[in-house]
Amino acid sequence: MAGPVASLVLGLPDAAGGSPQPQPQSRGRGLLRTLEITIPGALLLVLLFFCFIWPLVYPVPSPTYGSVLNANLPIWSPGHIFGTTNVGYDNMARILYGGRTTFEVAAGVQGIGLVVGGLLGVIAGYAGRIVESVLMRVLDILIAFPALVLILVIADSLGQSEMHVIWALCAFSIPATARVARAGTLRLRDQPFVVAARLSGVKAWRIISGHIVPNLMPQLLTFSLLGTGIVIIIESGLDFLGYGIPDPAPSWGGMIAYGQTVMSVSLSPLIVPSLFLFGTVVCLNLLGDGLRGRWGVR
Amino acid sequence: MSASIPLGQPEAIAEHTGTEPGGRPGGAYLRRLARSPMLRVVGRRLLIAIPVLWGVTLLTFIVENALPGDAAEALLGANATPAEIKVLSIKLHLNEPLLVRYWHWFWAALHGNLGYSLYSGQPVASIVAQRLPVTIDLIIYALVLSLVISVPLGLLCARRPGGVVDRAIMALCMAGLSIAPIVLALLLLQVFSGYLHNLLPALASGTGNNLRDLTMPALSLALPLAAFYIRFLRADLIEQMSEDYAVTALAKGLSRWRVLTRHALRNSFIGLLTVIGYNLATLIGVTVIAESIFGLAGLGNELLQAIQHRDVPLLEGIVLVFAGFVVLVNLVTDLLYGVLDPRIRHGRARS
Repeated sequence: MAGPVASLVLGLPDAAGGSPQPQPQSRGRGLLRTLEITIPGALLLVLLFFCFIWPLVYPVPSPTYGSVLNANLPIWSPGHIFGTTNVGYDNMARILYGGRTTFEVAAGVQGIGLVVGGLLGVIAGYAGRIVESVLMRVLDILIAFPALVLILVIADSLGQSEMHVIWALCAFSIPATARVARAGTLRLRDQPFVVAARLSGVKAWRIISGHIVPNLMPQLLTFSLLGTGIVIIIESGLDFLGYGIPDPAPSWGGMIAYGQTVMSVSLSPLIVPSLFLFGTVVCLNLLGDGLRGRWGVR
Repeated sequence: MSASIPLGQPEAIAEHTGTEPGGRPGGAYLRRLARSPMLRVVGRRLLIAIPVLWGVTLLTFIVENALPGDAAEALLGANATPAEIKVLSIKLHLNEPLLVRYWHWFWAALHGNLGYSLYSGQPVASIVAQRLPVTIDLIIYALVLSLVISVPLGLLCARRPGGVVDRAIMALCMAGLSIAPIVLALLLLQVFSGYLHNLLPALASGTGNNLRDLTMPALSLALPLAAFYIRFLRADLIEQMSEDYAVTALAKGLSRWRVLTRHALRNSFIGLLTVIGYNLATLIGVTVIAESIFGLAGLGNELLQAIQHRDVPLLEGIVLVFAGFVVLVNLVTDLLYGVLDPRIRHGRARS
């Protein structure tokens, strides 16, 4: 989490190794490029399917209901393939429903960040002058500040619920996206086609919606995708510290916190949610990197 | 930054070497000093720092007081009667309007008085002074570790981009960037304290004044950082290797490795330095998690407790220290930037 956050927050130029290199593409190289995108994409789709649709078609046990008689079952037990917790909740159901929360939070946070932050950034970049300096000073304050600290304070003062976690995490995603959108807008603002449109009398909002936003989209989308991994990591940290999703409801971070308490007895309650968390973020990062290379975004 | 002193004039040389052309002390020297680009950088940074520090404290204050349920309730617990809560909240000035309270705090803070913790009653300044060294040690240790890991590996990657070594290191970096700090910390715990039979202690001895105690928390911070730095170094080194000076050195027959380590790396350090400086805010955030998992008595742990107790003065104090630390490090980064990059030192940078 430490690394990419800063580069994303600041929009540092190409801090990652996956910069598009203009080299002649042989057939094998092209195939590799395609696999780079399709494999993590497919894995994510499978995970999304199991989290959102599988519980509708298959009788998955309730994640917050179980019998004490079934408590503390080990992994690979019949009927409970990931075992059960100390009060008999089924771990697989908790993984699936926890994943659901994770994806909902990530999508909400990045969606709000993309719309609000993107809009703020484009307006700041296009308007320039006072609007820009005021907006950017406010964002500078947010960026000079450890995001996690602010998120903890907000999450605590709002009280625990999924919606509040989303609001708190927006404190991270909105300034980050706004910064990238502003930088992109500044680059586009003086491009010949934008200048031509402006000179021929096209209204500002039409230039923004018709020229600037479509050209910013690839950059903002890959940025969002890479940011999604960070949002998921921060969210798991909040859950772990007890400021995220309230207790009986399942979350990966919360499951890891539970896993820590039983770590000396059995490792599987810790390993299973950790693997899901890690796998999801790896897939998101690979997908983001792959798309970045594909779309030639820096 | 505008060019205040054109290079080549005696003044510039004098400033660079630190001597006066005529050997006169006093006014002229000070005037020249005031025009130096370095001082201008410092001045601008410090001016920017004021609204940042002020904004951060105001933001924390408003957010922490936005909802009902205040420190009086948190302190007295669930069994308190409304009368007791009322009395305590008057005693703690919690019944006054939000902005009045902020003003009181702000005015006292301007005079160097950070107030007293609502929970323990101790002066905030002394709590912070007691906890800060642990956090700073942790951050410095983590930074050193991450650099020790990332510089050689970044060089190895750039030596033959696309080779087997490069690909393996890049894959490891992807893993390092994708692992959550909580997972990494617990993994390290399991490996070092479990499988390796307490090679490193699971729980620090509290004060964390022991390098061995700090190693595992520092590692959990350093590994993702190192992954990030390796990727940055690799990209930057590859770019440097296509610059004219590197191509010339190669053409003269120097080996690629030698050009990388002697020439390209120096220039990449400048970029790396800015990245490190700007990364710091995030790093501080992660120390909260690391300190909580490894039981270090640093500022991060104190922050969690302050949030739990709704201890606004303590929270404000910690937040102020964190933000001040970030501002300070960014200032030092800018200064070092000037030292490392002669173009900036002589005030000829164009951006």
